[in-house]
Amino acid sequence: MIEAYPLLAFALLFPLGMLLACLWPMALLRMPSYLAFAPIPAFVAVLLVSDDSPLVVGPARLHLTFALDLPGALLLGVAALLWIMAGAYASPYLQGRPNRGRFAVCWLTALTGCIGVFIAADMVGFYLFLAMLTLGACGLIIQHETADAWRAGALYIGLGLLAETLLLIAFVLLAMDIPGDGLLIGDAAAALPTSPHRDLIIGLLIAGFGMKAGLVPFHVWVPRAYAAAPAPAAAVLSGAAVKASILGMIRFLPLDTALPYAGTLLAAAGLFAALYGVVIGMTQRRPKVVLAYSSVSQMGFIVAVIGMGMIAGDGRAALAAIFYSANHVLVKGALFLSVGVIAATGRRYLLPILLPVAIIAVGLGGLPLTGGALAKIVVDGPLGDGAANTVATLSAVGTTLLMLQFVRGLVTTASTDYEATAAPSLFWPWLSTAAASLIVPWALFLAVPEGMLPNPLAPELLWKALFPVLLGAILAVVLWRWVRRLPHIPEGDIVVVLDSCVKIAPAWGRTIEQAEGTLRQWHVAGISLLALTLALGVALLAQ
Amino acid sequence: MPAATALEATTADGALLVRAIILPVVGILLSFVLGGRYAERIAAFLLPAGLCVACIVFLKIWQSETSLSYIVGNWKPPLGITLRADGLSVAMMVAMAIVICLIGVFAHANFDSRVASVETRAPMVFWVMLMAISGAMNMIFFGGDLFTLYVALELLTFAAVPLVCLDGRAETLQAALRYLLFALLGSILYLVGTALLYGSYGTLDIVLMSQRVQIEPATLAAATLMTVGLFAKTALFPLHLWLPPAHAGAPAAASAVLSAVVVKGSFFLVVRLWFDAMPGLLSVAASQFIGVLGASAIICGNIVALRQKRLKLLIAYSTVAQIGYLFLMFPLAADPLHLQYGDVLTGGMLQAISHATAKAAMFMAAGLVYAALGHDQISELGGIARALPMTMFAFGLGGLCLIGLPPTGGFLAKWLLLEATIATEQWWWAIVIVAGGLLTSAYVFIVLSRAMGPPSAPLILRAAVPKYQEVAALGLALLSVLLGLVALGPIDVLQVGRPEAPMAWLR
Amino acid sequence: MNAATLFGLCGAALVGIGLYGLITNPEPLRKILAFNLLGSGVFLLFGIIARRAAAAGLGGDPVPQAMVITAIVVAFAATAMAIALVQRLGDETGQASISSDSSETGEEKS
Repeated sequence: MIEAYPLLAFALLFPLGMLLACLWPMALLRMPSYLAFAPIPAFVAVLLVSDDSPLVVGPARLHLTFALDLPGALLLGVAALLWIMAGAYASPYLQGRPNRGRFAVCWLTALTGCIGVFIAADMVGFYLFLAMLTLGACGLIIQHETADAWRAGALYIGLGLLAETLLLIAFVLLAMDIPGDGLLIGDAAAALPTSPHRDLIIGLLIAGFGMKAGLVPFHVWVPRAYAAAPAPAAAVLSGAAVKASILGMIRFLPLDTALPYAGTLLAAAGLFAALYGVVIGMTQRRPKVVLAYSSVSQMGFIVAVIGMGMIAGDGRAALAAIFYSANHVLVKGALFLSVGVIAATGRRYLLPILLPVAIIAVGLGGLPLTGGALAKIVVDGPLGDGAANTVATLSAVGTTLLMLQFVRGLVTTASTDYEATAAPSLFWPWLSTAAASLIVPWALFLAVPEGMLPNPLAPELLWKALFPVLLGAILAVVLWRWVRRLPHIPEGDIVVVLDSCVKIAPAWGRTIEQAEGTLRQWHVAGISLLALTLALGVALLAQ
Repeated sequence: MPAATALEATTADGALLVRAIILPVVGILLSFVLGGRYAERIAAFLLPAGLCVACIVFLKIWQSETSLSYIVGNWKPPLGITLRADGLSVAMMVAMAIVICLIGVFAHANFDSRVASVETRAPMVFWVMLMAISGAMNMIFFGGDLFTLYVALELLTFAAVPLVCLDGRAETLQAALRYLLFALLGSILYLVGTALLYGSYGTLDIVLMSQRVQIEPATLAAATLMTVGLFAKTALFPLHLWLPPAHAGAPAAASAVLSAVVVKGSFFLVVRLWFDAMPGLLSVAASQFIGVLGASAIICGNIVALRQKRLKLLIAYSTVAQIGYLFLMFPLAADPLHLQYGDVLTGGMLQAISHATAKAAMFMAAGLVYAALGHDQISELGGIARALPMTMFAFGLGGLCLIGLPPTGGFLAKWLLLEATIATEQWWWAIVIVAGGLLTSAYVFIVLSRAMGPPSAPLILRAAVPKYQEVAALGLALLSVLLGLVALGPIDVLQVGRPEAPMAWLR
Repeated sequence: MNAATLFGLCGAALVGIGLYGLITNPEPLRKILAFNLLGSGVFLLFGIIARRAAAAGLGGDPVPQAMVITAIVVAFAATAMAIALVQRLGDETGQASISSDSSETGEEKS
């Protein structure tokens, strides 16, 4: 057994050190070329550390605690893999573009935050790194500095900070419930079922993490942010960063205790998002937006699995959700990277690249033998046989349809130069991610002790997985042949409502500003002073 | 304050307290004797010396865990004057001394009195007043009786008013006059209060007062008058009429002093009054009332800040809002069911200190932007982040502290206050605290996004910005960020001299 | 009615007049005068307290008397400073006013 401390510490300190090195202008200039190295220590730590003994940093009184538990390790492993590939992809992508230095800084901030969240074992650390992740991600979204990017960034940081505010209240409430004075997440989750504020805390946690996960109706930031971000950034955001919320739900919500109401709420919200994302995604044209809606749908599905686990008080749902998430990390990452690769590829070489893209894309819908199919098998148990399973099948059909739509849209974005090929430095990271998205789920699946899960090669399971995919494909053909026009729904759908609310806000602001201007007049302030004196005097006498 | 005994006497090292007050006064007198051209050199020597004294007092109190006191001329209260330093005062003293020193570094560029062959007015006034503020603040922190505190408060005001109108433009003169007159109104109210209290108890010494004080109409009337007077001096909403023009019109270094340091003086007196001189006198209704004022300051200040078109006015309104947070500690600490107010007090003081560092950094950054662009219209800030990256970075870090993201001091302060809202079951203040944080993040984001956006016309910098000014701003911003780490150690010092001290959540 | 009450009422009247003037009068100079009236009322209060607390055959308690002298010095300094500011303002603009309206419209213009 290898000592966990130095590895874990190194996993976090290495990207942090690279981030601090950016203060030095020379290092900042070169940093974009070395982004791929930053997550390697984290990946190594996942491979080598086999115990979850905590790493405690700081004096006994107030310290940060880090630990690598199984869900954290699984997610951190695949996320680090994606960060490595995307980092390698980012350095040629950035070549000759403005703001390379800022991109590197934001990238490293987000990466450090991401690693920190996955290994944080106490609430302060979790919150700290979550905030780092949000800030870094916001910087990545606004990279292109277009008007759309700014709006997306504002929406992202606004919702992100709102979510963190809700989480902060939840954490403070949890801290009060922990016996003793620790702030460990594990203790908090254990104390939650008996807490006097249980329902409030669970509500705050669900709302906070739901916003981060892009659960409907808080999904409005997802399509805008992923469409605005550069391809490698969108890959890590949709793949790795957003999973922090899933991990948060799993860590904080007491999944071993049956909480039917909260579980039903969570499952219903998740399943609704799973279908909603698919339906709205179908009306979209831009491949990145289609992928974003698919993310809404998939994240909703994962949340639903956690919710079903909460209903039953079944702790195994957590691992199932993590497995599903791990698959989604790599698949979504590979698909976002493919957007950039296809854009640099001409018609002549399109097919050899489009084929693996199509396979992993449809894999998300559950194509047999892909990671998606394995993930569906894993979550089959927690979902049960009821309505949830039916919705899951529907969502699989929809996802297949959506992914075919994505591939179709992707073709139109190919380079106009017939002979063009993507640079090898773009091509290889993408291909490795695509390969990893097919291999890693199998490796993880085979690591599960035999007998706990059904054999994925059994004919009836193959058919069960293939049936929604076939249905989706048929629907796609029908749709493309006979339906001329789909309604056009703006990216971020209900955000339009939000926009109109934003238009009302200035009127309110103006009213308050005018009132404040009145208060600032000398005689008004003088009278307020006297009035305050009287009021405070009366209030003091009232005892 | 410690439980006073009849035998209270000057403690060992008590003379340090006198030194902390005398040093700046010596500096002021020397500046007048030697002439204004030497004012900066004198300040450059005396302000760091003051910081050293502050650090020594801090270390003494931190290690010995007892308060220091010095009885002036060995005349014991109620006749004489005692200087006392407890945890609250030394923590504030060190923080303010650091802020003032860094502001001094920053101000060197604008108020260099050494180059001019003849004495110029503005630099002379700036350095003398900076030293005066440092001395007056120390007097407020150490003053052991309410009348000494009144004198200290007036000194602070008289030192602050000239800083507002250093450039002598008509609108700043007007702002200064407004500030002076309203502050005088506030101090007269405070003076009436001291008269009533002396008439009732025959002493103004804080420790003696805390033993004798009773709930009776004269005391409550006195307390009301003093509190409202101090509100006027702290610019608590809705008595903030003087703050935005005064803070936004002054030169950057002066704005930083006014916003970061000066408003904390009168706030500190409110704390002294209610927690030390008259413990247990604050009724629930009154504490809720103060909380409502604080909450409306947070909401209105932030919303009006959002609507400002000039950067310095935005920051000034943000000060109005942040002052509101300071007063939220009263409803949280005065709940009679929860006598453990130590954490709340720590939270409030931490908020004061982190606001001081963050706001000074932000005003400095705004000043540098103004110097570089010749204006501070927020809509025209495009490209400035590329031209002055370190400055805007400092602004952003200060903003993070105001928003309250970890690991900043603002986060720790808000965490403590939020915990208190839940412990005392006053969730409505929690809503205000978090809503204020969100509004703050909105205007910080707006400013940063403008600054990082493309310029509407090619950016021409009017003046090169000296590196050390940027470093001073960044240093303060980094301090505000790292303040969250004080939880690792020296935070306990705040409790020295208080009856009960446990910081429950940290153990 | 004893002397203390009489002086107390006088002090209160002065405070009342001073407050009224300070709040309602737009002229800075009048505001300063009003502030001085207000101050005088408060100083009278100190005198009464010194008188009331007089014990043991002394003419008055010396502590409030010491305080009131300090307070008078402070008020004098404040008045001097305010006058200086008014004078400068008058030199700059030709008319001295702190009326909020002018400063507020000024802000809105900029």
